[in-house]
Amino acid sequence: MKPFVYHQPKSIEEASVLSAKNWEEAVLFAGGTDVLGLLKDGIEEPKEVINLKGLEGLDQIDFTKGKELRIGALVKIAQIAEHPAIKQSFPALAQAAAQTASPQLRNMGTIGGNICQRPRCWYFRGDFHCLRKGGDECFAVEGENKYHCVIGGGPCYIVHPSDLTVVLQALGAKVTIVWKGGQKTVPTSQFFVLPEEDLYRENILKPGEIVTHIHIPVPDSKMKSGYLKFKERDVWDFAVVSVAASVRIANGRIESGRIVFGGVAPKPWEEETLNRELKGLPLKDADLQKLKALALKEAEPLEQNAYKIPLARNLMLSLLKELMPIIPN
Amino acid sequence: MAENKIIKSKFFFEEEEIEQLAEVSERKYRPWPNNDKLKVVGKGITRLDGYDKVSGSATYAFDVILPRMTFAKTLRCPHPHARIKSIDTSKAEKIKGVLGIITYLNAPKIKWYGNSFLFDPHLRYEGDEVACVAAVSEAIAEQALKAIKVEYELLPFVVDARKALKKDAPKLHKEGNVVRGKPSKYNRGDLQNGLKEADVVIEQTFNTQVEIHNPTEPHGSVVNWNGDHLTIWDSTQGVFRVRSQVAAALGLPESNVRVIKKYMGGGFGSKLEAGKYTVMAALLAKTIGRPVRIALDRREMNLAVGNRPDSFQTLKGAVTKDGRLTALYLKSIGSAGAYPAGTGCAWPLRSMYDCPNVSVEEYGVYINAGRARAFRAPGHVQGFFALEQLIDMLAEKVNMDPLEFRLQNYAHEEPNWHIPYTSKLLKQAYLVGAKSIGWEQRNKVAGSQSGPIKTGIGMSSQIWWGGGGPPAYANLKLNRDGSVQIIAGSQDLGTGTYTILAQVASEVLDIPVEKIEVILGDTDTAPYCGSSGGSTTAASVTPAVRDAAEQMMDKLYSAAMAQFDLPKNKIKYAKGKFSTVEPKPRVLTIGQLARKMGERVLETVGRREANPKGYAINSFGAQFAEVAVDTNTGKIKVQKIVAAYDIGRVLNRLTIDNQIHGGIIQGLGFALFEDRILDRNTGKMLNANFHDYKVPTIKDTPEIEIHIVSETDNRLSNTGVKGVGEPAMIPTPAAVANAVYNAIGKRITSLPLTPDKILMALQS
Amino acid sequence: MPNKKKPSSLSRRQFIKGVSTGVAGTIATTKLARALPIEKLEKAAPPEGHLPLELKVNGKPYQLYVEPQTTLVEVLRNELQLTGTKVSCNHGECGACTVLLDGKAVYSCHILALDAQGKSVTTIEGLLNGEELHPIQKAFIKKDGYQCGFCTPGQIMSTQALLLKNPNPTKEEILDGLSGNLCRCGAYPKIIESVEEAAKVK
Repeated sequence: MKPFVYHQPKSIEEASVLSAKNWEEAVLFAGGTDVLGLLKDGIEEPKEVINLKGLEGLDQIDFTKGKELRIGALVKIAQIAEHPAIKQSFPALAQAAAQTASPQLRNMGTIGGNICQRPRCWYFRGDFHCLRKGGDECFAVEGENKYHCVIGGGPCYIVHPSDLTVVLQALGAKVTIVWKGGQKTVPTSQFFVLPEEDLYRENILKPGEIVTHIHIPVPDSKMKSGYLKFKERDVWDFAVVSVAASVRIANGRIESGRIVFGGVAPKPWEEETLNRELKGLPLKDADLQKLKALALKEAEPLEQNAYKIPLARNLMLSLLKELMPIIPN
Repeated sequence: MAENKIIKSKFFFEEEEIEQLAEVSERKYRPWPNNDKLKVVGKGITRLDGYDKVSGSATYAFDVILPRMTFAKTLRCPHPHARIKSIDTSKAEKIKGVLGIITYLNAPKIKWYGNSFLFDPHLRYEGDEVACVAAVSEAIAEQALKAIKVEYELLPFVVDARKALKKDAPKLHKEGNVVRGKPSKYNRGDLQNGLKEADVVIEQTFNTQVEIHNPTEPHGSVVNWNGDHLTIWDSTQGVFRVRSQVAAALGLPESNVRVIKKYMGGGFGSKLEAGKYTVMAALLAKTIGRPVRIALDRREMNLAVGNRPDSFQTLKGAVTKDGRLTALYLKSIGSAGAYPAGTGCAWPLRSMYDCPNVSVEEYGVYINAGRARAFRAPGHVQGFFALEQLIDMLAEKVNMDPLEFRLQNYAHEEPNWHIPYTSKLLKQAYLVGAKSIGWEQRNKVAGSQSGPIKTGIGMSSQIWWGGGGPPAYANLKLNRDGSVQIIAGSQDLGTGTYTILAQVASEVLDIPVEKIEVILGDTDTAPYCGSSGGSTTAASVTPAVRDAAEQMMDKLYSAAMAQFDLPKNKIKYAKGKFSTVEPKPRVLTIGQLARKMGERVLETVGRREANPKGYAINSFGAQFAEVAVDTNTGKIKVQKIVAAYDIGRVLNRLTIDNQIHGGIIQGLGFALFEDRILDRNTGKMLNANFHDYKVPTIKDTPEIEIHIVSETDNRLSNTGVKGVGEPAMIPTPAAVANAVYNAIGKRITSLPLTPDKILMALQS
Repeated sequence: MPNKKKPSSLSRRQFIKGVSTGVAGTIATTKLARALPIEKLEKAAPPEGHLPLELKVNGKPYQLYVEPQTTLVEVLRNELQLTGTKVSCNHGECGACTVLLDGKAVYSCHILALDAQGKSVTTIEGLLNGEELHPIQKAFIKKDGYQCGFCTPGQIMSTQALLLKNPNPTKEEILDGLSGNLCRCGAYPKIIESVEEAAKVK
């Protein structure tokens, strides 16, 4: 690891000031599970590392009944997986947390770091001067692209690696971003960006901006949510494909719902057409099959990743069947 | 009394038949009875080295700390094929804490890999050594690597063996891209006749991937000079081999080089030879006058210290309608990597079944990638993946049960040389395994379950050598207090060698295992044993230990006879005590007896006896797999493996089960996950880490049931042991692949059996 | 969080004050490459680019100066010579370096030493009572829960973390708890038995 200057600010303001340079200059560091990997491999070689662990008040989970769940950015993944109220009211989130990485990494990694982590594309992580690192080629396009995106890509074909983001978006979560002199709260659907919007970053954060909290509205009793993650190997692996859904069920129909896919696109992937189709859908197998044909309809797989499309569709169906009593044909 | 004798010894080590002169013991001992009649051998004794391993006090090469020790790191070529145009180390030399740098410019020209050098300006793969730096810390050494300026001339490269065979392919070596310049061939009978005779002929290609050993302890050494004497703490499977190679490389007498290995964190074949890193460290240590530690990182482990070569196999199988094999054919292509290495995988096809007409043509091919090395059952894991699926396909074609088909083509004698086996209980293994898995419950029609989860059962046979042979020696020392030391130049890779050697001596000397200390892996103190590979260690070394212990018993009897002044038949020995009732009851422990001897240490040297002439020596076995395939995702869950083996005598029930588990789990890694991915456009490895190169986790552990159908192989040796380390892995991938076919009705002919392949096969 | 009251980035003055009131007696007995006796610490400026680190390892307090990029395992192995903790991947991808940090299993290769500021670290050596093995260690011997032994300290530390949290784990919970530790020898079935045995004995 290249030596760096180390800061451990005591206030968000101080952290914001320290990090308000450019990305090459200073990097934010929370649990460090992702950043350390980047530093060790020389993918990022910042002059300064700003450790956020000293910031007060960001390590809390606050649950206001009937209102919202607020998770501080420094809350560990393991705390989310084990939190009784989250397990009770947001099972999809607890499941996603429990399926992230490995036990040790869940004890180390934070939710803030998880949603801000960099892509796992092996060209990005490897010794390749790729587009995302300022080069002029995406090596995945003509290369080994089994794990790359099938939709939303171009000119770079990463997938967003986080499990939690997929669920957060399905649950309608918002992210609070703070900087010196200001703050805003945005839905996750507006937090992540595609390569065509920003080739070098995966989200809207600017230098000096820090994610402090995640807010999740508390669902009513008719809402059900779930998460299915498909990975080749049960531990460590990021999702090959994952799907999160939250659906409101009333009178034998889906009243409304959101389906979000992970592992298929450079950001958590949500399709308006699919969500619209969910509205008023009867809980019948035949109707679900229609959904299947609709999901990822615009996908354009690369040479080695076409399997992700049937995989995502099958997972979606399995998840919906888990969440709802389906009437067979 | 029979003595020792020098003979011509011939046996298989990994895939090579080695012939050498060896001094053997000609003493014949009464064969041991079955294990249930023995006191110590065969029992699940806990390991002698258990304390060290669980307490953290076991010192691996990685852990050796010497005064003034320095740290070395290696600069490796980032390109698949290049030539060094210029190299400038001046900036790196100026970094505070950097002590020495060697490159091809200042290092002696030491031959390596036959036609290359320790530092060769012609770099043939991503990972080839460019420079080595010693510094006061690893971090500073790494910093220095970044400061070395190298200008490379990039050369055209090829990373696919099939492409490397083409005429216009870039050449790695003067002689061309075929290793040794020509394919290796084997023929018996007449292939064409065999094909003609058959009612059914199937031709099928099978591909297997490159597998990386990835032992948990990184390859590495700590080296220390005392004048012209060099001591090496090495993570190795063969201390004497490392000694010869390093001494030759440095031009030292072997007597000046000491290699020590007490513990090592896994090798699986990758640590069977000396590493360049050891010699580089020794050169640096000599220059800077301080000890050097060199330990590879995980990326280097993936790039530069060996792998199981891939294979592209085309098989033909011919069979009569009543299920008799008439011909087998194999053409295989395997990637040796950048330097010469074995890539063959024909032995399964040549030796598993009774087939009169066999023809084999095998190409080892140079590509611009890390060089292959022996990896747990080299050739056999790949070969069986293809052969055993072909056998299932043939059986299906002639409407025979796959197990019945195998029994029908059972080799009752060794098919290559037409000689009997010392023992072969494969049939028993088949039957026990089949019963245990519930063979009759497999799908009569493959893929016929409705899903979405479909289950299936499949099997594979296996054959391996594993008989070991001489030379192998063991010294046994009996101290005045009755404690015993066994010293042998072998090494324990985690298989339990320390423990089984003590058990053998304990059995003979009738003293508790706790009184026996075993010392391995030190070239200065131990008599010669071969490298620990080829599943030969137990089979080679335990008979030498028995020989040493039996000689010690003879010596002690002689002493007791002298002390008691009685003939042998008037003296009894049990539990470490000599006793007699004549003329009055007297008892002497072996310690007391030893104290009566003028020497403070009694010593015997045991030797491995010769292998029996005119016999083939093989370990046999079969595995049965039960899998569940999720047709929604393509994921295979291996639910159960039944392993049934003929491996002669079990020495330790705990460690043999453990080793078989390990072989199966490594086999599952090869079957399901592991794959070296080279980027086809840049020739660089994409998954040189433990995240993207996926080895099995504890969650991938299936239920495993083990049956050992053999009691002993008394024809083979005085302990009757055959090897099991490699046999444990050989049949797993093929058994899983056959089970997957049974579950989904689609045959996946390339490894690993990843979900994308299954899913796409199901879609088609 | 335990380190909350104590700001981790201590000024030198605070650091030395903390030392002189608390643990001066122990420091002299620790054998550290770079841990200086207290008087010297007061006078000597830290080596350039180094920051003070105060942590407890296996119950003993230590003070030393580290470069910020130093990982916890580098401190444990290189400075404290606690070589029972192994490094195999150095990327948090295998578990050989597992230690407990305030009772929780973490990868010591993938955490900055400075993130252990003010915390308590337990390594494999810390499980022993003198030369006496911990019941978990005994269980691994009894059930042969290893082969080459290189990953074993990590496996045992994960077992300790699991059993601290959950003294009677189910088989599934054992698989989960140990899932962050690779064993390339594939001794998993015997590791599972060892954990079951350890849970029974405890």
